[in-house]
Amino acid sequence: MDDEAAIEAAHARISPVPREARPFQGQRAGIVTRLVAATLDGLVIGAVLLCGYLGLVGLIFLLNPRSFTWPELGVVFSLAAAFAVAFVYFTVFWTLSGRTYGYLVMGLRVLGIGGRRLRLIGAALRAAFVVIVPIGIVWIPFSRNNKSLQDLVLGTRVVYDWEPRPVRPKPFEAVTEDDAEAS
Amino acid sequence: MRIPGMSTLTSLPVPPIVQAALAPVVRRSTSYALTAGMLLDRLIDDLIAEVVRRVDIDQVIDRVDVNAVLDKVDLTETVLTRVDLDVVVRQVLTRVDEEQVAELAAKADVDAIARRLDIDAVLDRMDLTSTVLKRVDLVRVVDAVLDQMDLIALANEIIEGVDLPEIIRDSTGSMASETVKGVRMQGIGADQAVDRAIDRLLLRRTRSPGPASS
Repeated sequence: MDDEAAIEAAHARISPVPREARPFQGQRAGIVTRLVAATLDGLVIGAVLLCGYLGLVGLIFLLNPRSFTWPELGVVFSLAAAFAVAFVYFTVFWTLSGRTYGYLVMGLRVLGIGGRRLRLIGAALRAAFVVIVPIGIVWIPFSRNNKSLQDLVLGTRVVYDWEPRPVRPKPFEAVTEDDAEAS
Repeated sequence: MRIPGMSTLTSLPVPPIVQAALAPVVRRSTSYALTAGMLLDRLIDDLIAEVVRRVDIDQVIDRVDVNAVLDKVDLTETVLTRVDLDVVVRQVLTRVDEEQVAELAAKADVDAIARRLDIDAVLDRMDLTSTVLKRVDLVRVVDAVLDQMDLIALANEIIEGVDLPEIIRDSTGSMASETVKGVRMQGIGADQAVDRAIDRLLLRRTRSPGPASS
């Protein structure tokens, strides 16, 4: 056990995180960072949708080039596609690494209950919640401990984590934080 | 009885008649001479015994300058040439009592002897490097040293000293990573600014964004 502690301590000491950012690692992120990350994710989702649309257009053009016209997709279909892409995108990346592209750029990571990694169901629930109620992010500055509406309901958290790989959470962290819930 | 001188007489180149005439004379004179010799021997023996009895040896020895005699004699040379030292040493060794030697050694002030030693000179004469290489089991020594060292702590100390992650970041970092770092830090700053502003608006004093992991 001492060896494990030593290795953990060593890992912490030789962290690739710059000195000035180390005090913030593990803290819940504020609204600005998360908004920037969400915007980047929105751009990624938009790019995916655009690629999908262009792919569809190309397919239609290849199938019938003579009578080709730009397809008009309805608002409902477009929204449904956007929701579906966003849902899959968030679910997959939060399950795999706890971070989407926007979170990666901004050095954030989503953690589940007790600071553990999100599992598929947790990630899917959160993704659905975020897609349906994106405005939940506005709650962050009003929360005493930077929780969005989704975090509040699902017990998740978004923390600053500049480490390339997820760091094993400390068991006591969950208890102290859950006890500190007071917003 | 065999008379000494008779054989000499018979071997002389003298006519037999002369030998016959001289034989009785030689025989008698020889027997007289032998008798006289024996008497003289006894007399001399008595004389020596009397002299020895009368001489005070102690007085004689007192008058002898022993030191002067010893000065004239090269005792070392005499001992070396005339004494079988091997035998002497062997006898000494067989008679040495180990307990006595141990007692003697206990009485000896080894520290004082060691203090008088010129250690540097002794060490200069020794090829310590080759001695160590030949006689020391270096693998065991190194193993023992490594066992006593906390290599992880040492490595961490070195890494901390040279700030390896910073060097790696500097050497591999690109403009993009520097930009990302800047954006992230600005994001954190903006987060705190917004949090402070909201806290002030809501008249809140404390905010607990969770524990820092490092």
